Amino acid sequence: MAEVGADIGRVRIRLPATISQGEVIRIRALVTHPMEILSFDKDQKPLPKNYQFVYQIVVTYNGKEILQAETTQAVSQNPFVAFPLKVTEPGKLVITFTDTHGKTYEGSAEIAF
Amino acid sequence: MKCTLDMAKLTRRNLLRAWGIIGSTGVIVSLGLGGFMQVAAQQAQLGMPKPDEKVEDTINRLFGNRSIAPADGKVKLEAPLIAENGAVVPVTVEADLPMTPQNYVKSIYIIADNNRRPLNAKFSLTPEVGQATISTNIRLAQTTDVRAVVEMNDGALYMVKQAVKVTVGGCGG
Repeated sequence: MAEVGADIGRVRIRLPATISQGEVIRIRALVTHPMEILSFDKDQKPLPKNYQFVYQIVVTYNGKEILQAETTQAVSQNPFVAFPLKVTEPGKLVITFTDTHGKTYEGSAEIAF
Repeated sequence: MKCTLDMAKLTRRNLLRAWGIIGSTGVIVSLGLGGFMQVAAQQAQLGMPKPDEKVEDTINRLFGNRSIAPADGKVKLEAPLIAENGAVVPVTVEADLPMTPQNYVKSIYIIADNNRRPLNAKFSLTPEVGQATISTNIRLAQTTDVRAVVEMNDGALYMVKQAVKVTVGGCGG
């Protein structure tokens, strides 16, 4: 399993090497995050505590929200998501991951032709 | 010691949030201690374990009695037949459905029947993305059917299902 520690919260975004106007591109994004899994007591009951995992991903393009995701603990460590975007104009893509401890991790990329 | 640190973080976060409110409304809001406590309590709830759920109950909770049509090739679900590691199972949902402002894929749900809480993730799309294809990595606790449910903006639902054999469980939430 990949190590997560000091690197936690690092967002990486990958765009295609060449982008032409009007094209539907595929964007890949990843955040380094443990996505803490449940711990169980001896009766196999989940220990009640505020587990730390990313529960929301919001993607905006030039300030407009284009995609949103609700994630759970059943999403893997270092959550990865790939999604399309139809690029009609150049602009700034911002992806924000929010976890249950109130921390937000943001990554951005400039899309140009 | 740890507790003290956590409290410090909470207070700082709430302060930031309060500044946000002040900034966006332009009104000076005085948040009493009660307000702080309330915000902190709500945030503390987010990561609390939710009760076990059967997949029928998950589907009922998400879609009520609405009928779900078989995808008939309109929606494709790509997942491995055998997942050696249940902690990281790549899945792709590809919907061959329109993405126009009038008629578009609103949501994509990924559901694993035999997980403790079957809903893995929900994606909400807008016509701007141009195409309804989503990939992610999910955790599977054991061998299970994985379903993708696609919801159109007019409420139509399509489902596709695939069995995934899991060799080592991923202790999904």
